[in-house]
Amino acid sequence: MKKILIFAGVVAAAIMSIAASLSTSSENIDLDMDRTHGTISTAMGSSILGSPIAPITIIEFGDYQCHQCYNWFHNTKPAIFENYVDTGRVNFIFVDMAFLGRDSPKAAQASYCAEDQGKYWEYHDLLYLSQEPQIDNGWANPERLKAFAFNLGLDMELFENCLDSGKYSKRVQFNIDEAKKHGINGTPGFFIVGPDGQQKISGAQPYSVFKLVLDSMI
Amino acid sequence: MAKIISLVFSNHYYVVASCSIFILMTLGLLIISEYVFLEPYVTGHVQQGTEIGFVLIFILSGLSSLVIPMNIYRIKSLNLSKRKVGGSVFGSFVGSIAGACSCGPIGFAVISTFGSVGATASAFLTNFEIPIRIGAIIILLITYYTTIRSLRIECKLNF
Repeated sequence: MKKILIFAGVVAAAIMSIAASLSTSSENIDLDMDRTHGTISTAMGSSILGSPIAPITIIEFGDYQCHQCYNWFHNTKPAIFENYVDTGRVNFIFVDMAFLGRDSPKAAQASYCAEDQGKYWEYHDLLYLSQEPQIDNGWANPERLKAFAFNLGLDMELFENCLDSGKYSKRVQFNIDEAKKHGINGTPGFFIVGPDGQQKISGAQPYSVFKLVLDSMI
Repeated sequence: MAKIISLVFSNHYYVVASCSIFILMTLGLLIISEYVFLEPYVTGHVQQGTEIGFVLIFILSGLSSLVIPMNIYRIKSLNLSKRKVGGSVFGSFVGSIAGACSCGPIGFAVISTFGSVGATASAFLTNFEIPIRIGAIIILLITYYTTIRSLRIECKLNF
Protein backbone atom coordinates (compact mmCIF):
# COMPACT_ATOMS: atom_id res chain seq x y z
CA MET A 1 0.00 0.00 0.00
CA LYS A 2 2.84 2.34 0.94
CA LYS A 3 4.55 1.65 -2.35
CA ILE A 4 1.36 2.45 -4.23
CA LEU A 5 0.97 5.72 -2.32
CA ILE A 6 4.61 6.68 -2.99
CA PHE A 7 4.20 5.82 -6.69
CA ALA A 8 0.96 7.82 -6.86
CA GLY A 9 2.68 10.74 -5.16
CA VAL A 10 5.57 10.67 -7.63
CA VAL A 11 3.16 10.52 -10.57
CA ALA A 12 1.09 13.39 -9.15
CA ALA A 13 4.24 15.46 -8.61
CA ALA A 14 5.37 14.74 -12.17
CA ILE A 15 1.98 15.75 -13.60
CA MET A 16 1.95 18.94 -11.54
CA SER A 17 5.47 19.90 -12.65
CA ILE A 18 4.60 19.26 -16.31
CA ALA A 19 1.42 21.31 -15.93
CA ALA A 20 3.38 24.12 -14.29
CA SER A 21 5.98 24.16 -17.06
CA LEU A 22 3.25 24.17 -19.71
CA SER A 23 1.45 27.03 -18.04
CA THR A 24 4.58 29.20 -18.17
CA SER A 25 5.32 28.46 -21.81
CA SER A 26 1.83 29.03 -23.16
CA GLU A 27 -0.09 32.26 -23.46
CA ASN A 28 -2.64 32.80 -20.75
CA ILE A 29 -4.39 35.89 -21.98
CA ASP A 30 -7.70 35.98 -23.78
CA LEU A 31 -7.03 36.04 -27.49
CA ASP A 32 -9.86 36.13 -29.97
CA MET A 33 -8.31 33.77 -32.49
CA ASP A 34 -10.98 34.58 -35.06
CA ARG A 35 -10.45 38.34 -34.97
CA THR A 36 -9.98 39.65 -38.48
CA HIS A 37 -10.22 43.07 -40.06
CA GLY A 38 -10.79 42.92 -43.78
CA THR A 39 -8.54 40.15 -45.02
CA ILE A 40 -6.08 40.56 -42.17
CA SER A 41 -5.91 38.39 -39.08
CA THR A 42 -5.31 40.74 -36.16
CA ALA A 43 -5.81 37.99 -33.58
CA MET A 44 -2.18 38.06 -32.49
CA GLY A 45 -1.79 41.82 -32.67
CA SER A 46 -2.51 44.37 -29.99
CA SER A 47 -5.84 44.90 -28.35
CA ILE A 48 -8.15 47.42 -30.04
CA LEU A 49 -7.45 51.00 -29.07
CA GLY A 50 -10.52 53.21 -29.32
CA SER A 51 -14.14 52.25 -29.77
CA PRO A 52 -14.50 48.55 -30.59
CA ILE A 53 -17.62 49.36 -32.62
CA ALA A 54 -15.99 52.09 -34.72
CA PRO A 55 -16.72 51.45 -38.42
CA ILE A 56 -13.11 51.95 -39.50
CA THR A 57 -9.93 50.31 -38.24
CA ILE A 58 -6.38 51.47 -38.79
CA ILE A 59 -3.93 48.57 -38.63
CA GLU A 60 -0.32 49.62 -38.25
CA PHE A 61 2.46 47.17 -39.03
CA GLY A 62 5.50 48.49 -37.22
CA ASP A 63 8.90 47.83 -35.73
CA TYR A 64 9.97 49.43 -32.47
CA GLN A 65 13.42 50.17 -33.91
CA CYS A 66 12.13 51.80 -37.10
CA HIS A 67 12.84 55.53 -37.19
CA GLN A 68 10.02 56.16 -39.69
CA CYS A 69 7.62 54.50 -37.23
CA TYR A 70 9.01 56.85 -34.60
CA ASN A 71 8.39 59.81 -36.93
CA TRP A 72 4.83 58.67 -37.61
CA PHE A 73 4.20 58.06 -33.91
CA HIS A 74 5.29 61.60 -33.05
CA ASN A 75 4.15 63.59 -36.09
CA THR A 76 1.04 61.97 -37.55
CA LYS A 77 -0.54 59.67 -34.99
CA PRO A 78 -1.53 62.40 -32.48
CA ALA A 79 -3.68 64.23 -35.05
CA ILE A 80 -5.34 61.01 -36.19
CA PHE A 81 -6.16 60.10 -32.62
CA GLU A 82 -7.45 63.56 -31.79
CA ASN A 83 -9.75 63.75 -34.82
CA TYR A 84 -10.78 60.16 -35.46
CA VAL A 85 -9.96 57.68 -32.68
CA ASP A 86 -10.88 59.80 -29.67
CA THR A 87 -14.14 60.77 -31.38
CA GLY A 88 -15.12 57.11 -31.80
CA ARG A 89 -15.07 57.08 -35.59
CA VAL A 90 -11.95 54.96 -35.97
CA ASN A 91 -10.10 52.40 -33.87
CA PHE A 92 -6.49 51.32 -33.99
CA ILE A 93 -4.54 48.07 -33.85
CA PHE A 94 -0.76 47.60 -33.82
CA VAL A 95 0.68 44.47 -35.42
CA ASP A 96 4.39 43.68 -35.20
CA MET A 97 6.59 43.64 -38.26
CA ALA A 98 9.78 43.19 -36.27
CA PHE A 99 12.49 42.75 -38.91
CA LEU A 100 15.05 45.51 -38.57
CA GLY A 101 17.52 44.05 -36.07
CA ARG A 102 18.12 41.45 -33.40
CA ASP A 103 16.47 43.59 -30.71
CA SER A 104 13.28 44.17 -32.72
CA PRO A 105 11.53 40.82 -32.07
CA LYS A 106 12.50 40.97 -28.40
CA ALA A 107 11.00 44.45 -28.06
CA ALA A 108 7.78 43.22 -29.67
CA GLN A 109 7.67 40.24 -27.31
CA ALA A 110 8.25 42.55 -24.35
CA SER A 111 5.15 44.57 -25.31
CA TYR A 112 3.03 41.41 -24.94
CA CYS A 113 4.71 40.59 -21.63
CA ALA A 114 3.52 44.03 -20.53
CA GLU A 115 0.07 43.20 -21.91
CA ASP A 116 -0.04 40.25 -19.50
CA GLN A 117 -0.05 42.85 -16.76
CA GLY A 118 -2.52 45.16 -18.49
CA LYS A 119 0.02 47.71 -19.71
CA TYR A 120 0.49 46.98 -23.41
CA TRP A 121 -0.23 50.47 -24.68
CA GLU A 122 1.80 52.17 -21.93
CA TYR A 123 4.75 49.95 -22.83
CA HIS A 124 4.21 50.45 -26.56
CA ASP A 125 4.22 54.24 -26.12
CA LEU A 126 7.25 54.09 -23.82
CA LEU A 127 9.24 52.20 -26.47
CA TYR A 128 8.47 54.81 -29.11
CA LEU A 129 9.19 57.63 -26.71
CA SER A 130 12.53 56.02 -25.77
CA GLN A 131 13.65 55.00 -29.27
CA GLU A 132 17.20 56.01 -30.14
CA PRO A 133 18.25 56.74 -33.73
CA GLN A 134 20.58 53.77 -34.10
CA ILE A 135 19.36 50.22 -34.70
CA ASP A 136 20.66 47.54 -32.33
CA ASN A 137 22.80 49.99 -30.36
CA GLY A 138 21.47 48.52 -27.12
CA TRP A 139 18.58 50.85 -26.40
CA ALA A 140 16.14 47.94 -26.85
CA ASN A 141 18.27 45.08 -25.55
CA PRO A 142 16.71 42.74 -22.96
CA GLU A 143 18.19 44.67 -20.03
CA ARG A 144 16.74 47.97 -21.25
CA LEU A 145 13.40 46.30 -22.01
CA LYS A 146 13.32 45.12 -18.40
CA ALA A 147 14.24 48.61 -17.22
CA PHE A 148 11.28 50.03 -19.17
CA ALA A 149 9.02 47.49 -17.47
CA PHE A 150 10.42 48.48 -14.09
CA ASN A 151 9.71 52.15 -14.86
CA LEU A 152 6.08 51.27 -15.56
CA GLY A 153 5.81 49.50 -12.20
CA LEU A 154 5.29 46.03 -13.66
CA ASP A 155 5.82 42.87 -11.61
CA MET A 156 9.42 42.23 -12.58
CA GLU A 157 9.48 38.54 -11.78
CA LEU A 158 6.54 37.90 -14.09
CA PHE A 159 7.92 40.17 -16.78
CA GLU A 160 11.43 38.68 -16.70
CA ASN A 161 10.10 35.13 -16.80
CA CYS A 162 7.93 36.05 -19.75
CA LEU A 163 10.68 37.82 -21.69
CA ASP A 164 13.48 35.35 -20.95
CA SER A 165 11.35 32.32 -21.81
CA GLY A 166 10.46 33.71 -25.23
CA LYS A 167 6.80 33.20 -24.37
CA TYR A 168 5.54 35.40 -27.18
CA SER A 169 8.09 34.61 -29.87
CA LYS A 170 5.56 32.62 -31.92
CA ARG A 171 2.97 35.38 -31.57
CA VAL A 172 5.40 37.95 -32.95
CA GLN A 173 6.44 35.59 -35.75
CA PHE A 174 2.79 35.06 -36.65
CA ASN A 175 2.36 38.83 -36.95
CA ILE A 176 5.44 39.15 -39.15
CA ASP A 177 4.11 36.37 -41.40
CA GLU A 178 0.71 38.09 -41.56
CA ALA A 179 2.40 41.33 -42.61
CA LYS A 180 4.38 39.59 -45.35
CA LYS A 181 1.28 37.76 -46.51
CA HIS A 182 -0.41 41.10 -47.11
CA GLY A 183 2.47 42.64 -49.03
CA ILE A 184 3.83 44.83 -46.26
CA ASN A 185 7.44 45.37 -47.34
CA GLY A 186 8.52 48.14 -45.02
CA THR A 187 7.55 49.86 -41.83
CA PRO A 188 5.36 51.54 -40.96
CA GLY A 189 2.75 49.99 -43.21
CA PHE A 190 -0.95 50.53 -42.76
CA PHE A 191 -4.25 49.07 -43.76
CA ILE A 192 -7.32 51.22 -43.32
CA VAL A 193 -10.22 48.82 -43.13
CA GLY A 194 -13.68 50.29 -43.65
CA PRO A 195 -17.16 48.93 -44.26
CA ASP A 196 -16.62 48.83 -48.02
CA GLY A 197 -13.06 47.64 -48.31
CA GLN A 198 -9.50 48.26 -47.29
CA GLN A 199 -6.79 50.68 -48.40
CA LYS A 200 -3.07 50.10 -47.99
CA ILE A 201 -0.79 53.01 -47.07
CA SER A 202 2.96 52.43 -47.18
CA GLY A 203 5.37 54.50 -45.14
CA ALA A 204 5.15 57.30 -42.62
CA GLN A 205 2.76 59.36 -44.71
CA PRO A 206 1.42 62.69 -43.45
CA TYR A 207 -1.87 63.30 -41.69
CA SER A 208 -3.39 64.79 -44.86
CA VAL A 209 -3.20 61.42 -46.63
CA PHE A 210 -4.83 59.56 -43.74
CA LYS A 211 -7.52 62.26 -43.58
CA LEU A 212 -8.33 61.84 -47.26
CA VAL A 213 -8.56 58.06 -46.98
CA LEU A 214 -10.54 58.08 -43.72
CA ASP A 215 -12.97 60.76 -44.91
CA SER A 216 -13.62 58.80 -48.09
CA MET A 217 -14.63 55.79 -45.97
CA ILE A 218 -16.83 57.56 -43.41
CA MET B 1 36.43 77.16 -63.26
CA ALA B 2 33.36 78.86 -64.77
CA LYS B 3 34.94 78.68 -68.22
CA ILE B 4 35.53 74.94 -67.90
CA ILE B 5 31.94 74.42 -66.82
CA SER B 6 30.65 76.51 -69.71
CA LEU B 7 32.98 74.59 -72.05
CA VAL B 8 31.52 71.25 -70.97
CA PHE B 9 27.91 72.38 -70.90
CA SER B 10 28.07 74.28 -74.20
CA ASN B 11 27.21 70.88 -75.67
CA HIS B 12 23.49 70.23 -75.20
CA TYR B 13 24.14 66.51 -74.71
CA TYR B 14 25.81 67.24 -71.36
CA VAL B 15 23.05 69.65 -70.31
CA VAL B 16 20.44 66.95 -70.97
CA ALA B 17 22.58 64.37 -69.17
CA SER B 18 23.03 66.69 -66.20
CA CYS B 19 19.32 67.51 -65.93
CA SER B 20 18.38 63.84 -66.27
CA ILE B 21 20.82 62.79 -63.55
CA PHE B 22 19.57 65.53 -61.23
CA ILE B 23 15.86 64.82 -61.74
CA LEU B 24 16.14 61.03 -61.59
CA MET B 25 18.49 60.99 -58.62
CA THR B 26 16.55 63.58 -56.63
CA LEU B 27 13.21 61.93 -57.29
CA GLY B 28 14.58 58.44 -56.65
CA LEU B 29 16.22 59.41 -53.38
CA LEU B 30 13.17 61.37 -52.22
CA ILE B 31 10.99 58.32 -52.86
CA ILE B 32 13.24 55.70 -51.24
CA SER B 33 13.94 57.99 -48.30
CA GLU B 34 10.17 58.48 -47.90
CA TYR B 35 9.97 62.21 -48.54
CA VAL B 36 7.73 61.61 -51.54
CA PHE B 37 4.95 59.03 -51.74
CA LEU B 38 3.22 57.89 -54.89
CA GLU B 39 0.37 55.89 -53.37
CA PRO B 40 -2.49 56.26 -52.59
CA TYR B 41 -1.92 59.91 -53.53
CA VAL B 42 1.17 61.66 -54.85
CA THR B 43 2.33 63.62 -51.85
CA GLY B 44 5.49 65.15 -50.42
CA HIS B 45 6.28 65.43 -46.76
CA VAL B 46 9.35 66.39 -44.73
CA GLN B 47 8.98 64.91 -41.26
CA GLN B 48 10.16 66.92 -38.31
CA GLY B 49 13.76 65.91 -37.59
CA THR B 50 14.53 64.75 -41.13
CA GLU B 51 15.34 68.15 -42.63
CA ILE B 52 19.11 67.54 -42.83
CA GLY B 53 18.63 64.35 -44.84
CA PHE B 54 16.29 66.24 -47.18
CA VAL B 55 18.84 69.00 -47.86
CA LEU B 56 21.69 66.47 -48.33
CA ILE B 57 19.70 64.71 -51.08
CA PHE B 58 19.61 67.94 -53.12
CA ILE B 59 23.31 68.63 -52.55
CA LEU B 60 24.22 65.06 -53.50
CA SER B 61 22.05 65.10 -56.61
CA GLY B 62 23.31 68.55 -57.63
CA LEU B 63 26.95 67.54 -57.31
CA SER B 64 26.38 64.24 -59.11
CA SER B 65 24.63 66.01 -61.98
CA LEU B 66 27.63 68.34 -62.27
CA VAL B 67 30.50 65.91 -61.80
CA ILE B 68 29.30 62.86 -63.77
CA PRO B 69 28.74 64.76 -67.09
CA MET B 70 32.10 66.53 -66.66
CA ASN B 71 33.83 63.18 -66.29
CA ILE B 72 32.00 61.77 -69.29
CA TYR B 73 33.18 64.82 -71.25
CA ARG B 74 36.72 64.15 -70.09
CA ILE B 75 36.57 60.52 -71.23
CA LYS B 76 34.94 61.26 -74.58
CA SER B 77 36.98 64.32 -75.46
CA LEU B 78 40.34 63.08 -74.31
CA ASN B 79 39.89 59.34 -74.95
CA LEU B 80 40.72 58.48 -71.37
CA SER B 81 40.05 55.24 -69.57
CA LYS B 82 36.48 54.77 -68.35
CA ARG B 83 37.93 54.22 -64.89
CA LYS B 84 38.37 57.98 -64.67
CA VAL B 85 34.65 58.35 -64.07
CA GLY B 86 34.92 56.09 -61.02
CA GLY B 87 35.09 58.76 -58.30
CA SER B 88 31.92 60.51 -59.37
CA VAL B 89 29.91 57.31 -59.80
CA PHE B 90 31.26 55.90 -56.54
CA GLY B 91 30.37 59.07 -54.63
CA SER B 92 26.88 59.12 -56.09
CA PHE B 93 26.34 55.42 -55.40
CA VAL B 94 27.54 55.58 -51.80
CA GLY B 95 25.38 58.60 -51.11
CA SER B 96 22.36 56.93 -52.65
CA ILE B 97 22.48 53.63 -50.77
CA ALA B 98 22.96 55.36 -47.42
CA GLY B 99 19.34 56.33 -47.06
CA ALA B 100 17.88 53.47 -49.00
CA CYS B 101 18.42 50.68 -46.51
CA SER B 102 16.21 51.60 -43.60
CA CYS B 103 12.66 50.66 -42.74
CA GLY B 104 11.53 50.89 -46.36
CA PRO B 105 11.14 48.30 -49.13
CA ILE B 106 14.84 48.26 -50.08
CA GLY B 107 15.94 47.63 -46.50
CA PHE B 108 13.26 44.95 -46.21
CA ALA B 109 14.43 43.28 -49.44
CA VAL B 110 18.07 43.34 -48.32
CA ILE B 111 17.22 41.85 -44.92
CA SER B 112 14.87 39.25 -46.41
CA THR B 113 17.46 38.18 -48.99
CA PHE B 114 20.65 38.22 -46.92
CA GLY B 115 19.33 37.47 -43.42
CA SER B 116 21.43 38.59 -40.48
CA VAL B 117 24.26 39.82 -42.74
CA GLY B 118 21.76 41.97 -44.60
CA ALA B 119 20.29 43.21 -41.33
CA THR B 120 23.74 44.22 -40.09
CA ALA B 121 24.57 46.00 -43.35
CA SER B 122 21.17 47.68 -43.42
CA ALA B 123 21.51 48.77 -39.78
CA PHE B 124 24.97 50.24 -40.52
CA LEU B 125 23.72 52.18 -43.54
CA THR B 126 20.73 53.44 -41.57
CA ASN B 127 22.64 54.33 -38.42
CA PHE B 128 25.26 56.28 -40.34
CA GLU B 129 23.02 57.67 -43.08
CA ILE B 130 23.94 61.33 -42.54
CA PRO B 131 27.72 60.79 -42.10
CA ILE B 132 27.79 58.49 -45.15
CA ARG B 133 25.93 61.07 -47.26
CA ILE B 134 28.32 63.79 -46.06
CA GLY B 135 31.22 61.45 -46.93
CA ALA B 136 29.76 60.93 -50.40
CA ILE B 137 29.44 64.69 -50.86
CA ILE B 138 33.12 65.11 -49.87
CA ILE B 139 34.09 62.42 -52.41
CA LEU B 140 32.11 64.26 -55.09
CA LEU B 141 33.70 67.60 -54.14
CA ILE B 142 37.17 66.06 -54.39
CA THR B 143 36.23 64.50 -57.73
CA TYR B 144 34.89 67.85 -58.91
CA TYR B 145 38.13 69.57 -57.94
CA THR B 146 40.34 66.93 -59.58
CA THR B 147 38.16 66.96 -62.71
CA ILE B 148 38.44 70.73 -63.07
CA ARG B 149 42.18 70.52 -62.50
CA SER B 150 42.55 67.69 -64.96
CA LEU B 151 40.50 69.44 -67.66
CA ARG B 152 42.50 72.63 -67.15
CA ILE B 153 45.75 70.75 -67.68
CA GLU B 154 44.64 68.27 -70.31
CA CYS B 155 42.82 70.85 -72.40
CA LYS B 156 45.72 73.22 -71.90
CA LEU B 157 43.42 75.96 -70.78
CA ASN B 158 45.18 78.70 -68.94
CA PHE B 159 42.67 80.64 -66.97
